[in-house]
Amino acid sequence: MSHQMGRVVSAILERHFGEIVQKVGDDLFSYGSRPISMIVRNTGLPRNQVIDSLRTLLKFDLATFEPYNDVIVDYKLLPDNVLLLIRYPRYLLQMKSKYGSEAELLVEELLQQATCTATTLLFNIATKFKDDKEKSITILGLKDMFISLVTAGYIQQAPVAELKEGSEIPTLVPVATIVPDLDSRALVQAMNNGHINDIKDNIYWRVNYDRFHLDFRDEIMIKAITRRIDENAGELMRFLLEKMYLTSAPWAPESSPLCAVELRERCRSAATDKPLLHQFVDQYLKVLEENGGGFVRRVGDAGSGQFTVRSRHAALQLVLCALEHCVTERLGSKAARIFRLIYTKKYIEEDDIQKNAMLVNKECKQLTYKLMEEHFISVQPMRKPASAGGMAKAIYLYHVKLHSVAYTGLEMCYRSLHNVLRRAAHERSAHARLVDKQRRVRTIVHGMRLRGETQRNIDDVEETLTPPELAVLQGVEKRLKQLSTAELELDRNLFIFKWYFMYPYVE
Amino acid sequence: MSVKIEDQLKEKILNVAKKNPKGISHKDITAAIPEVSSAELVPVINELLQQEYFDLFNQNGVLVYKLKAQTSKQAVKGADNEEKVVYNLIEEAGNKGIWIRDIRVRSNLANTQLTKVLKNLESKKVIKAVKCVNASKKKVYMLYNLEPDRSISGGAWYQDQDFESEFVDILNVQCHRFLSQRADKIKNNPRGPIVGRTQSYATANEVQKYITDLGISKVELDVEDVITILNTLVYDGKAESSVYPDGSKVYRAIDPLIPAPGLVQVPCGVCPLIHSCDSTGLVTPQTCVYMKEWLE
Repeated sequence: MSHQMGRVVSAILERHFGEIVQKVGDDLFSYGSRPISMIVRNTGLPRNQVIDSLRTLLKFDLATFEPYNDVIVDYKLLPDNVLLLIRYPRYLLQMKSKYGSEAELLVEELLQQATCTATTLLFNIATKFKDDKEKSITILGLKDMFISLVTAGYIQQAPVAELKEGSEIPTLVPVATIVPDLDSRALVQAMNNGHINDIKDNIYWRVNYDRFHLDFRDEIMIKAITRRIDENAGELMRFLLEKMYLTSAPWAPESSPLCAVELRERCRSAATDKPLLHQFVDQYLKVLEENGGGFVRRVGDAGSGQFTVRSRHAALQLVLCALEHCVTERLGSKAARIFRLIYTKKYIEEDDIQKNAMLVNKECKQLTYKLMEEHFISVQPMRKPASAGGMAKAIYLYHVKLHSVAYTGLEMCYRSLHNVLRRAAHERSAHARLVDKQRRVRTIVHGMRLRGETQRNIDDVEETLTPPELAVLQGVEKRLKQLSTAELELDRNLFIFKWYFMYPYVE
Repeated sequence: MSVKIEDQLKEKILNVAKKNPKGISHKDITAAIPEVSSAELVPVINELLQQEYFDLFNQNGVLVYKLKAQTSKQAVKGADNEEKVVYNLIEEAGNKGIWIRDIRVRSNLANTQLTKVLKNLESKKVIKAVKCVNASKKKVYMLYNLEPDRSISGGAWYQDQDFESEFVDILNVQCHRFLSQRADKIKNNPRGPIVGRTQSYATANEVQKYITDLGISKVELDVEDVITILNTLVYDGKAESSVYPDGSKVYRAIDPLIPAPGLVQVPCGVCPLIHSCDSTGLVTPQTCVYMKEWLE
């Protein structure tokens, strides 16, 4: 919860929900939790607008509430959830690549609705694509997909509001997800009738972000191993993670021991795809353990070797890697060398830095101080007790406090993200008139085409957009595209930092 | 006793002393030259001592004569006492050298006198002044014929007390090239990943041989030097090191775990003004020049 985070959250709220919600969000962010009346007084907005904003925030799980006493409720913003709004495209992409376009449609609709009953969700999508012959989407296909998504945990049941006795304030109680049994005949009938009034369905569903994040994490780990060793090792990492889910909590810092025998079994079943992996499982395990950045560790010899997956260590390694990239780009590869040197040696004196990094004395000092200035390294003075000679010189030991450096990196990510969002908003508002005009021309042309008017008339309308205007529009489009790519990349970066901070700090 | 006999005797004693660099006692001399009586020996030894051929030691109650280094004998020839004292101090310091202040403290000579003495010795090419690499202002003195210690001269990486960073950079690049050539061996190796890994490793000896064969270095680089360079590669994140069972260090070129993250792909990640950037004021994302260039 930092100032920079507040700025990003504010920018995201403005983009997705407009200024009023942004104002309410800002107020909640800066004051923690507070009741409606206070928000009204502070923002100067009419009460019903504040209530509407809160409703929106609550609906999308961007805020929560808790009773202050029997009558008054305190509202609280969930900034981490707000940040997830920019991750939506990634969720959709993940769905599309893993389960196909039907799953993508389901998740997209559900993300837009926030919470929704299964019947409504399926009915809405099916109705939308009723006339689309190309995609051939049927409500039954959607139903099957929905059930498999629920089984895989991408969709879960939304918490249920419960009223406690003697209180008017409901509390949200999370419920365990039960795979639903949807009546196919009723759904088909509803499609034919065109309404779903006949079906009684009061179980609400929502997207389970955490499940997606686990996928992202696995992907990062597998990719890293593939980069470091090869595809076979990456595949082995995937099997290890698969096995890990069966025995340990998914985000556990270190999984419970996994047996090599089971892995061998798993590799045998994949022998046709990866013959090398099957042939050399044990060797790959050894190489993975010794050269895989410490993602996997051997813990025992029982059952021909037991291994744990070290999620926490992996996060640490990846954050370190991201920070090293950052130092390299900001201060050059020589500075990155010093940064890594200090990190490996834990505590090191200035003279030793120069000796080990093989840099010119002056340059080395300069870079070290620059690293200090940008908060990548810190210094620990060690004062000797005053000796007889009056030569009581202090020793200055440099070291890397990874936890705080990671915070520096995180803050920079927030800042960059905010800047990218701001810039995109600026681009949009600066060329709002032109973009608007283009849209209007397109609608008119579309209407004319439908009416079957002559090509000449259509051309006339299209020519109201002059070539210079078109050029400008093209430029804007390109810039906005680049900015949104940057947004996604920054979000990926944020994900690594968040993953690292998920585990409590140990000295 | 004629002078000639005396000289012969001198020669004999010196020969005995040369054979026993640890020093000779009176007994050793009589054993080696039995034909001479001790009465004849005494004046000869005394003369040798006077001419400073010998140092006299008392070892467990027995007097031991030890031959002085030949150079030191020559060097102090014709020198006065002060010079001898200073010379001895410098000699003692060996190839590590001695700082002028330490000479002054230990010799109890006045500053001006000491400078004069040192200048004198230097002009005779008996001693030399060497600039220390870790403290550019600090000069240390050592005997003329000595090779300065690594801590003073900095080893192969220094030319006239200047660090040769270009040389180091070139070696760094070459070492990396050598390692990268074999780095891919680990990928999908048909003989298994362990064989592949061994093939992708390079020992420091191999790298040293490669560098020597390239002929880019004028100075002789030993394995230690190459290890220093390889370690910089490890600190660059371009290589990882491991140890073979026989204790020799091996290196392997690696890629970073993740490609360049989002933070450095946007201008803000590398922007020097990131900390002064804000929503309002002179530096804002809306008016940012770097951002504009990037979006062009």
